[in-house]
Amino acid sequence: MSPVLEVHELHKAFGGIKAVNGVSFSVREGEILGIIGPNGCGKSTLFNCILGQLEPTQGTVKLDGRDVTNLRPSALNRLGVSRTFQLLQVFPELSVRENLILAGQEHQGSMLGRLFGARDAGLSGKAAQMIGFFKLGHLADAKAGGLSYGQQKLLDAAMAFMAGPRLVLLDEPAGGVNLTMLGDLKERLRAINAEQGATFVVIEHNMDFVMSLCSRVIVLAEGRMLAEGTPAEVRANPAVIEAYLGH
Amino acid sequence: MAEFVAFLIAGVATGAIYALAAIGFTLVWQTSQTINFAQGEFVMLPAVLVLLAVKLLGAPLWLGALVGILAFILVFGLGFKVVVVDPMIRHGVLPLAIATMALSTIMKEGAKDGFSAEAQNFPSFVPTGTVEVLGAAVSLQHAAIIVVALAAIGLLQWFVGGTRLGRQMQATAQNPTVARILGIPVERMVLLTFVINAALAVVASVLISPLYLAKFSNGETIGLFAFIAAIVGGFNQVRGALVGGLLIGVVDSLAAAYVSTQYRLAVPLILLVAIILLKPEGLMGRKEERRI
Repeated sequence: MSPVLEVHELHKAFGGIKAVNGVSFSVREGEILGIIGPNGCGKSTLFNCILGQLEPTQGTVKLDGRDVTNLRPSALNRLGVSRTFQLLQVFPELSVRENLILAGQEHQGSMLGRLFGARDAGLSGKAAQMIGFFKLGHLADAKAGGLSYGQQKLLDAAMAFMAGPRLVLLDEPAGGVNLTMLGDLKERLRAINAEQGATFVVIEHNMDFVMSLCSRVIVLAEGRMLAEGTPAEVRANPAVIEAYLGH
Repeated sequence: MAEFVAFLIAGVATGAIYALAAIGFTLVWQTSQTINFAQGEFVMLPAVLVLLAVKLLGAPLWLGALVGILAFILVFGLGFKVVVVDPMIRHGVLPLAIATMALSTIMKEGAKDGFSAEAQNFPSFVPTGTVEVLGAAVSLQHAAIIVVALAAIGLLQWFVGGTRLGRQMQATAQNPTVARILGIPVERMVLLTFVINAALAVVASVLISPLYLAKFSNGETIGLFAFIAAIVGGFNQVRGALVGGLLIGVVDSLAAAYVSTQYRLAVPLILLVAIILLKPEGLMGRKEERRI
């Protein structure tokens, strides 16, 4: 089976600084891949290059074997690549339900359809399912801006899965989330992976979170891949201990 | 009592006009951080263009109205966004605000030179006459203004709150970055708010000009009061602009009747200062935070 995502020899330089320096990896269907590394190792730049928010200097990104390098984020979104954000990105004055419906690509279709068509665009069922799945039931009609930080993180994740995407990229999902909520989030991500075969890539600082969630981990340091393997293999890798875990 | 009711209804009618202009303010502010200081002139000009089209084309009124209104929406809806807002907003909110001030002068002087320095009659679509409300004689024009303006605002509320397109417009205003990633046509949504703003100005112009006559200087008071109304109601809320507009209209009308016709202008300004001191986000506005 061809991988869902294939990144080949990706480079990104900002002037003389090589933020990403020849990174190659692939993500198989149903896999949870973790990308870790110290601050400034190029994780976020790598993410932004994959997502079309930055133009890589060199290298290719393929989705299901198709070259999607330099596609715009909205085009990638239509192809089924969605993401969550390190800093929260919801529509604060809209309800949780409406946020989810928007994330479900409801804006497809004609102008007239969008004016006179059903307001939920047939996505109510899917939104309700996500609300239930991420345990946001009591908040379905609350404004997203009024939710706690952790609840907004759950909503952010739910939005990423709303369009039934091929691949979800999670940018530091655990950042700033309290321990209870972190457990919830991890448990929900694992469940969506197991039940729906969702494939995702997680960038994270929180080692415990990555090690316990991901099936495979890539370690980046100074824009290069330092190690790759199962969480146990990575933990035992002397180079990784030296560069990251040792600190 | 009858006198009070008459002043009140006249106030609600002019307030509805301020509300239309103020809602336009809040819409373009929310989607593109544009404060349009030419908003009053936006209300002045459609009536002038209609009369100009009738005069130049020798056309019947309905055709002149069609040509004038379409020309206005094209130039001051789409054109305003593309020619003034897009090039200026890159340099920040302030240069754009100053550009709209310049635009207001150009529109005003243009109307004076290109049309007339004198006030001209503008036909009404309702017959002259009065209806009696609570013992007060209310002119049909005032009644029509209230009914049509509120209907237009109701339609807008339905559009923004009740349709998918409106929700996409809200999403664009609240978080353009994510809206763009989700594939919402952000640019088109912003353009749409400018077209709606121009359309609201047309409605206001057609409603108020039979009373005020079509004159190049009509925008001065309307622009100022609409701006005050938007701030009093809350710059980031359509509902706030509606309440602010009606409030300013009523306050102005009652002040003129019971306080002083000379100092009437001061009363809404005092209200403005009070709101800025006591509730700077406006009566119905929400606080906006910005990192600097």
